[in-house]
Amino acid sequence: MIQTLKLLLPALIPSWNFFDVIADSPRIEYTLLNAPEDGDGAWLEFRPRPERLPVPAMVGRLFWNAQWNETLFIISCAERLMETPTEHSQNEIFRRIAADLTEQPGAAWLRFRIALLSEREGAIEREIAFISAARPVASLSLP
Amino acid sequence: MTLDAAIRLTEVLLALAFLQQSLEHLRRFRGEHILFVLRIVLCGLVIGGVLAPWPLVGLALLSLVMLHRFQGPYNGGSDRMGLLALWCLALAQVMPAGPAREIAFGYLGAQLVLSYFIAGWVKILNPDWRSGRALRQVFAFSTYPVSESLRGWAQRPRVLTAMSWAVMLFEIAFPLTLISQPTLMVGLGLAAAFHLANACLFGLNRFFWTWLAVYPAIVWLQGRVF
Repeated sequence: MIQTLKLLLPALIPSWNFFDVIADSPRIEYTLLNAPEDGDGAWLEFRPRPERLPVPAMVGRLFWNAQWNETLFIISCAERLMETPTEHSQNEIFRRIAADLTEQPGAAWLRFRIALLSEREGAIEREIAFISAARPVASLSLP
Repeated sequence: MTLDAAIRLTEVLLALAFLQQSLEHLRRFRGEHILFVLRIVLCGLVIGGVLAPWPLVGLALLSLVMLHRFQGPYNGGSDRMGLLALWCLALAQVMPAGPAREIAFGYLGAQLVLSYFIAGWVKILNPDWRSGRALRQVFAFSTYPVSESLRGWAQRPRVLTAMSWAVMLFEIAFPLTLISQPTLMVGLGLAAAFHLANACLFGLNRFFWTWLAVYPAIVWLQGRVF
């Protein structure tokens, strides 16, 4: 209960320092494996953005933006994982990637990694900051 | 606007914003459904004005369960404003009529002003924001742009520097709009347009609805103080 109240406190006494600094930006990538000891397969970007988004779709997202808001939550979990690693953050990322994989049956194991994008001397750099252990996809397909 | 009218309008707008968010959560993960179905029911009671103030109190208690479930706000700053509004409203509703009720609701209006002013202040202190570099980074590699084509804006440094200064100056100057109702309406109109742009370019639709829901609090506070 004390922990939950600690989570509430920043909302009741907010800092409002939105975007004061532009931090390194995480990207989630995942790979599917047949066995946990397999070497990494092809890493796929989780929910890549569309090349273009028409204005009507942008306006429509004012009213229904479920997938994007979930993606932002997963990015928050990745940021939390970088700052203070917890099982909760890993579980949420695994679970929500797995939920997107229902149309790709067959692969038994799933790993994800977090790439951090940043700008150094005018160039965008990419660094792998975290690689998860493999987990069985079947155990993640929870309701 | 009277205190009662402002509280009522804020709680209805906030309940509508929560309703929109909660419906999004129903698309999958049955394990989360109970939380959000309960939230939808409570929002319906708030909108209908039934059993007041208990549905608001219920929503405030439910927000603690949700904070525990997601180990923090689901969507960062927008959910934090939603929580602040909810707890201020619940407190104002359970308080007897008088100064305590005004303070609880006035705190929400004051925080709305601070949300713009402080956001502008911390940006203007940062040389990367003053040069336009920070906004260029937002477009170049941050998580937020909703399409790859928007990243092309990072190649327009003059436009982004102008946009950065427009945002910073607007945010810092926002408290000055409190001098009269007409200037406040202009300020809130510009602020709503700013949130709309953020919703379209960066997919931050929750900011748009949540901040709009709190506007009656600042309209009431302006009338009360000035």
